Amino acid sequence: MEHVRQKGVFDHLLMLERTEAAGPKGHQKARLEELQTTAAKIRAKRDRIRAETSTIKNLKEKMDQGLPLDDATEDLVQFEKYLLTSQRTQLKDLQTAHRLIAGFNLVESKKGKSVCVAFHTAFEGVCLETYNMEVNLTRMVHISRHNIPSYIPLEKLAKQSLQTDFKGFLQTLNLHLNALAGRKQQISLIKELLGTVEVIEKNQLCNFLAFVCKVPSESEEAVLCTLEYGDLTRCLPTQVVIDAENKTLIESPQWKENHVLLKETPVHSALLTMRKLGSIL
Amino acid sequence: MQQSFILQLVTRLTPGKTMDILEQQYEEEIKLLQQETVACEIERDECLRAIFRQHGGETLQNILKTISIRKENEDGVTNGDASKLVTEISDLEVDHRRQTDISGIFLSECWIKTVEKSSTKTVQQYRLSGRCWLLSFQVEFVLTEIQDGETTLKKVTDLNIISDGGEFKDLCGFLSSVEESRSLFLFFRTLRSYSERCKQRTCTFQHFKEKYPDLVQLPEGCRSEIMVIQSPQLPGCMMSIFWNICVSKEGTVMTKLDLLMKMPEQAEKLDTENVMASAPESFRHLLSVFGEEATIESLIQSVCF
Repeated sequence: MEHVRQKGVFDHLLMLERTEAAGPKGHQKARLEELQTTAAKIRAKRDRIRAETSTIKNLKEKMDQGLPLDDATEDLVQFEKYLLTSQRTQLKDLQTAHRLIAGFNLVESKKGKSVCVAFHTAFEGVCLETYNMEVNLTRMVHISRHNIPSYIPLEKLAKQSLQTDFKGFLQTLNLHLNALAGRKQQISLIKELLGTVEVIEKNQLCNFLAFVCKVPSESEEAVLCTLEYGDLTRCLPTQVVIDAENKTLIESPQWKENHVLLKETPVHSALLTMRKLGSIL
Repeated sequence: MQQSFILQLVTRLTPGKTMDILEQQYEEEIKLLQQETVACEIERDECLRAIFRQHGGETLQNILKTISIRKENEDGVTNGDASKLVTEISDLEVDHRRQTDISGIFLSECWIKTVEKSSTKTVQQYRLSGRCWLLSFQVEFVLTEIQDGETTLKKVTDLNIISDGGEFKDLCGFLSSVEESRSLFLFFRTLRSYSERCKQRTCTFQHFKEKYPDLVQLPEGCRSEIMVIQSPQLPGCMMSIFWNICVSKEGTVMTKLDLLMKMPEQAEKLDTENVMASAPESFRHLLSVFGEEATIESLIQSVCF
């Protein structure tokens, strides 16, 4: 803009006209120049970080050997910055690790008047949805906003312990959210890993699931399994019902074992085991 | 400067094709430079982490103190960077304390190493040591983050748990199932509720040991599952309470208390109402009505004279 003002608007328009006249060739030239600047910028950044690294290495070596830091004051100012950065890096790592293992993290907001809680759900090592909640801490502790699904009994849980045991409340809610995420994930894993199994009914809370699997035989008999999850803090069913037209089949020892399997292991792994053992297609 | 001159010369003299090649060359150079920058960043951060690991705590604070004294002597040297970092550090420390308090998990060692990093994928190795109440643990795992458009896929692999302390012997089945299914988060959730139950048991045992030092014995220490009630006036009579805390494979923590009675043979003959045989059943009934503490209290009262 400076440039434009110096030369005047007409000159600038003239320049634009010329660029236009130059056509695609002019565009390409501009593009090349742009690339060149970008490259120069990144090169400068790389060189800066390289220089930093070598100063830090120098500092580390001195510290490792227990040498006194008697450098010029400017160097010491640099060292101080890196030592503080090293401390910050450690604390940031701790923060990341804590957030990861605690399952939820708190951030104070509105000058300590409220606190924001983020719940990170996961199932079998895979991180799933994150839910957020803002809790107002002034006078009566209450939830001011949240994006927790309506089918989670949040109000009931809040009534039980929000006022009296905040930590306990967060842990119970975390349990509910993780169990929901786990049940949901199991259903999507069935669809992903077991194309032959057909989910015919499920609900939002994922505490009811009905699916049909086929038995490897000429007639490809269908077996209907119904799973009910009575405990909303768990991702294993409390009741399993297996039904088929062929009653002798479902009374067989093999299917008795399958019943136990479905009750004691996550449904997708139970089905995978059943397929491996030749119970289902 | 020279490069820019060549660029001008080339673009003026050659047709579009050479320009295409040049463009490609620049793009490749940028890509390479970006990779180098990331590698440099990783090296720098690793070096910073190594400094803290080896000299963290006191040594580091002492050096910082020396530097600030020297800065004061040669007044006029102010460092905006440093004061900004100091504020950031104290904020992070506050956050760390809050996290520790709310999660009940104290981390004593946190070792993170970046193995791979690009604009779409980050792979980091973790080693965390710490304790939850008195139960110490060490976990190692790999965290992979893949950026796919708007969404980030975060995944834990290679989970390895090293646990310490007698309490963990009841957790064997759970631990191996957690390792197999890489359920890092489930491990910490369960560890928390398990340690809470252990704490409750230990506190209750300790409470009775202090209240009735002559009647209560903890033969395997206050952190084990056994408490023995024995009155010096009733030699041969012994009540043992087994307070078991079990963890299922899916991480549900359950408490089970059992009572075992021992009486001299002569006394057993006088037991016409089968008090001995029905004791465990009655004990369970009392537990369900009054809870652990009141039930144990009433047992102790029964041998108090």
